[in-house]
Amino acid sequence: MQQSDPSAQFGRSTVTLEVNGTTRVIEVEARTTLAQALRGPLGLTGTKIACDRGACGACTVWLDGSPVCSCMLLAVGVGHRQVTTIEGLATADELHPVQQAFIDEDAVQCGFCTPGMVMSCAALLNDQPDCQPDDVRAAISGNLCRCGTYPHVLAAMHRLRKDPAP
Amino acid sequence: MMKRFAWTTAESPSAAASAASTICAEAMALTDGATDGAIVMAGGIDLLDLMKEGLLAPARLIGLRDIADFGAIDLERDGARLGAGITLAALAADARIRRRYPALAAAAAGAASPQIRNVATLGGNLLQRPRCWYFRSRHHRCLRRGGVHCFAHDGDNRYHAIFDNRRCAIVHPSTLATVLVALGADVQLTDAAGGSRRLPLEVFLTPPAGDLTRENILQPREILHAVHLPPISEGIRMAHSKRGEKDAFDWPLAEVAVVLDLEPGGRCRDAAVILGAAAPAPHRAVNAARQLVGAVIDEKRATAAAAAAIEDATPLADNGHKLPLFEALVRRTIMAAAQGRLEDSILR
Amino acid sequence: MNAGDDSAGGPSDSPTRAEPFPYGILGVDLARIVRSIPADEPPPLAPNAELAIIGRSATRLDARDKVTGASRFTVDVGLPGMLHGRILRSRFAHARIRSIDASAALRAPGVRAVEVLAQPTAPHGSNASTVRYVGQPLAAVAADSLAAVEEALQRIEVDYEPLPFVVDLATARRPTAPPVYTADDAPRGSASGYPAPAGLPLHGNVRGPAIVDRGDVARGFADADVEVESDYATQVQTHCCLEPHAIVADWRADGLTVHVSTQYTSGVRHELAEAFGLPLAAVRVIAKAIGGGFGSKSTLGVYGRLAVGLSRQARAPVRIVLDREEEQIDAGNRPSTWQRLRLGARRDGTLTAVRLTSYGSAGVGLGAGVWSLAERLYPCANFLGEQHDVFTNAGAGCAMRGPGAVPGAWGMEQAVDELAERLGIDPLALRDRIDPSPVRREERRIGAQRSGWFERRPPAADPGPIKRGIGCAQSLWMTNVQLNAACEVRVHRDGSVEVFSGVQDIGTGTGTVMAQVVAEVLGLTPQAITVRIGDTRFPAGPPSYGSRTTASITPPARTAAWHVLQSLFREAAPLLDADPAALFAHEGRIGVRDDPARSIALAQAAARSRTDFVSAVASRADDYAGFDVRMGDAAIARQYLGGVQFATVAVDTETGIVRVERVVAVQDCGRPINPRLIESQVQGGVLMGMSFALFEERLLDRHTGHMVNANLEQYKLAGACETPDIEVIVLENYQANSATDAYGIAEPANIATAPAIANAVYNAIGVRLRSLPITPAAVLAALGKIPSRDAP
Repeated sequence: MQQSDPSAQFGRSTVTLEVNGTTRVIEVEARTTLAQALRGPLGLTGTKIACDRGACGACTVWLDGSPVCSCMLLAVGVGHRQVTTIEGLATADELHPVQQAFIDEDAVQCGFCTPGMVMSCAALLNDQPDCQPDDVRAAISGNLCRCGTYPHVLAAMHRLRKDPAP
Repeated sequence: MMKRFAWTTAESPSAAASAASTICAEAMALTDGATDGAIVMAGGIDLLDLMKEGLLAPARLIGLRDIADFGAIDLERDGARLGAGITLAALAADARIRRRYPALAAAAAGAASPQIRNVATLGGNLLQRPRCWYFRSRHHRCLRRGGVHCFAHDGDNRYHAIFDNRRCAIVHPSTLATVLVALGADVQLTDAAGGSRRLPLEVFLTPPAGDLTRENILQPREILHAVHLPPISEGIRMAHSKRGEKDAFDWPLAEVAVVLDLEPGGRCRDAAVILGAAAPAPHRAVNAARQLVGAVIDEKRATAAAAAAIEDATPLADNGHKLPLFEALVRRTIMAAAQGRLEDSILR
Repeated sequence: MNAGDDSAGGPSDSPTRAEPFPYGILGVDLARIVRSIPADEPPPLAPNAELAIIGRSATRLDARDKVTGASRFTVDVGLPGMLHGRILRSRFAHARIRSIDASAALRAPGVRAVEVLAQPTAPHGSNASTVRYVGQPLAAVAADSLAAVEEALQRIEVDYEPLPFVVDLATARRPTAPPVYTADDAPRGSASGYPAPAGLPLHGNVRGPAIVDRGDVARGFADADVEVESDYATQVQTHCCLEPHAIVADWRADGLTVHVSTQYTSGVRHELAEAFGLPLAAVRVIAKAIGGGFGSKSTLGVYGRLAVGLSRQARAPVRIVLDREEEQIDAGNRPSTWQRLRLGARRDGTLTAVRLTSYGSAGVGLGAGVWSLAERLYPCANFLGEQHDVFTNAGAGCAMRGPGAVPGAWGMEQAVDELAERLGIDPLALRDRIDPSPVRREERRIGAQRSGWFERRPPAADPGPIKRGIGCAQSLWMTNVQLNAACEVRVHRDGSVEVFSGVQDIGTGTGTVMAQVVAEVLGLTPQAITVRIGDTRFPAGPPSYGSRTTASITPPARTAAWHVLQSLFREAAPLLDADPAALFAHEGRIGVRDDPARSIALAQAAARSRTDFVSAVASRADDYAGFDVRMGDAAIARQYLGGVQFATVAVDTETGIVRVERVVAVQDCGRPINPRLIESQVQGGVLMGMSFALFEERLLDRHTGHMVNANLEQYKLAGACETPDIEVIVLENYQANSATDAYGIAEPANIATAPAIANAVYNAIGVRLRSLPITPAAVLAALGKIPSRDAP
């Protein structure tokens, strides 16, 4: 317990985050959410805020590879966990297969839910390369899309599904 | 935007308890939920929601994530111990839990969304505040927030309680509580001196009569440390079903957990039928269980139990639909348990 | 027409020329028709099968930016020195503002500007000394940080005198209901889509009726062998764009620039010029990526004017982003409706009379009608429609994907099914008799085959608690066109191509279809075209609403490209030793039509340009066949859009849960330009319709006037787990009307879904659900399974 920690006061404190494989040091308030920290001081605006209550998934990023709503996490509470955002998914010259499949199947309309949707799908594909349509539905059940891209998201993931080894 | 607060972390349960000068319920009964006290936070899904809505403004939050074994699952000879800090995702994925307590794993897997399950904890799920939309509105200072009026009674109460709803009509929001009460789980509370008390979850979720501001008996300077599950004997069968307007990422309109203890010949030795989204606490349908004990369970018996489950209900103006819904779900969940299925999956 | 080279095109001394166009429905009656067209329009486009790019599913040009998070939405725009703004809103559903004191806010730390609306002298058109709904803007603050803004907002003292209010439609209709307006201050106008005379009466809260009276309905009903009459109701739906309404306003001495999430850059420019007394030339509106609109971002509205006002005061850029609660309570909505429909028919199904009475509420606004679908879908000599708007103390409605037609179809398409049952005729057979549209006839034929309609059983045929059914419904929507729509095409000396228009892409793929059209003309690929849109510095762009964008902007895109190509042909002709008229463009080259071996690269011709680039600007010509209606810049083509949808549902009669398992959507949009983008649009329309049918409802507390589900948690949107299998079939329906012959699809795809689901639910359980949404509670009530209770 560090009750006397002077950094634990109302003002801004220094937070070290591991984001997309890089160590980033930023000044934030305790109340700053991870989503705000990413979009603000870190300049990673690919992560979107649409409901700010964990109800829509537009702010989905990975913590240690698992999708989370970055709007419902405090930046000060992230600790040493690895944060991966949509900007960290593709390499300099190659898209993540999920991103390419989204392009190929037009699993994109207005695009505002898309970064979060991609992050949820890519996490599923990592965990479960042989994912079935119902697995995809469940994996994106926390990602709302008002344009109605779900059928094409399912098609994109169908394209990527690796059949389990016989 | 949340009010400013200070952030610290605790590294042991007793340190956390010692720092926890207040609890969410106590603070939320004050105007704007503003307290100069400190509240503990695990996943924070519910706390941050309340703070963003302007319903809770603690001066300090104490993060629990650094507490060793707070997120552990230990299988004991006589049951299991679940650290309160385990995430719903971890609970759902644990092979041992899936094998021994499949209804619990399934309930955890079906709660909220994948993103929320990766952060939300068992303890947070049990301690989360109700979803009543008046309770959750800064514009409606209701009985449960220290006001003088239940807005749900003459307002829109379609999602509210059908039992024990005379003064405040919230339903308990925890899907895990429904299953855990059916399983006969205990909770372990740890205080600032490192001492622990252990009591049935069902008792924990019964606040003093007349105190509408809380859904449990957690005290300041105390944290919910772990949940203990009883052993599973040979004849235990369990099932859990829920129905919402949506199939996923929706609060249930009705939820049922059934645990049966069947003799080798199929006769029911003991039964627990617990209804969620029905009352301010997980609702034990005593009369339904009574219909099952001593009988070989068949459709007719399940139908009688289902009718008994709702016979004492006192629906409000907008939630009468919960009665047939619960009746169907109780019957189906009993049959699912008796037949060794995990849930009633008809049209889900 | 303002071509870069005025000698381009056909014989300029002749205003028109005759050309043969493809005309009719592919696979049904596709033929040729000769149209007289303006001389500077390009020649007819062949049917899609003969084209290289149009009619093919080109990849969305901005897809890569969207999947990598690189797209820059308005919420992502940050300018140096930018301030943050937020709005103070009424806590009361109806109140007189005795006073409002913002002086303490102005002195608060970090505050740079305060705008107060709730005064008789309020700026910018909101004389809100009376507030009429929870969430009505009262004031706004701009400060260095959002935290400073929030603290300042709390320092604004508002003295409210609460007044009686009413939030539900039925209560508001009563003569004793608290009046939302007085006769003097009530908005004028009429129910949505009805060409009503000015000066409709106001009785209490009821404005109207707007009347359409044709033939003699009394006589028609007297001549009827059978009649059906039922009441149908729809709830308030909110748009729920994932990107909230957002603006960054930057007022400077040399002009105003706003970045804004809008469906109409050009419209916003006009609004701002008028509101702030600026010349149009001093206002620039930019919308690069827009996170959904669905009608709610058609105009700028109060929040945008507040941001500009704050920026003017502070002399600094100001960003306002609405939060989700604000989105739900004060960013528009689809109004609620109640309608009574009475149909009379002869035994053979012929309609003898249609009578429609409707009451709807767009809160403090107007436009809550059910449109003219009941009048137009099945023509009937005797029709009487009376539509009313009812004021309530709720946020104003606005257009939402198929406004009026969605509730209109909800009533009419169920009423026709009810009539079919009364007549003992198959619902599709009845429509075959009373619907004259050859397009929908073909759509019914295809849809019936694809959906399993012929295996349809009588209502409630399944023996167990789970009952399945199939239902069908039709849509009708306007072929809207915006004539104030222009596009510039430039081919640079190196052969690279840029396309410019102010038009915005709200997720429909507007930029991509423009690139396809230009690529088709120039013999290039869509990827080779750089599309620059969403900026009023470019030629005037049409709005992205009314399903009019493709119809409005692709013809000028093709025309401009064609004019540029004629210039390139003239440059190429000497090099190829051929007549310009003998040339054609193909795969990046210009060749001689009769001798394809003779060709040069397009860039070679472009390099000969006198200036850096060859350019042409074209605007939308009138439809070649003329219009059905024309009002200023807007017009409607002669043939309307159709669509037929079939839904298969499963109903759990014990829990009341309805699941849509499959939808077959057969639609038309003239010439389809990009089938996959169209499929995306149709899927989106179906899903929004299904979500409306089963889940969504704005809930206002009748005692406090607050929306209790002003979020995305209790306001329920369909998710992936609720998504049915959707099969989309799009006809090619050539109408010989423009340089591309393309029309829109977004709204037609959203109109038939809910009634198709209701008709399927009826087929499943034998009980008809006439009010939305079809929740478990509604189904159990309809089945008589909810025990009676004491009256509250």
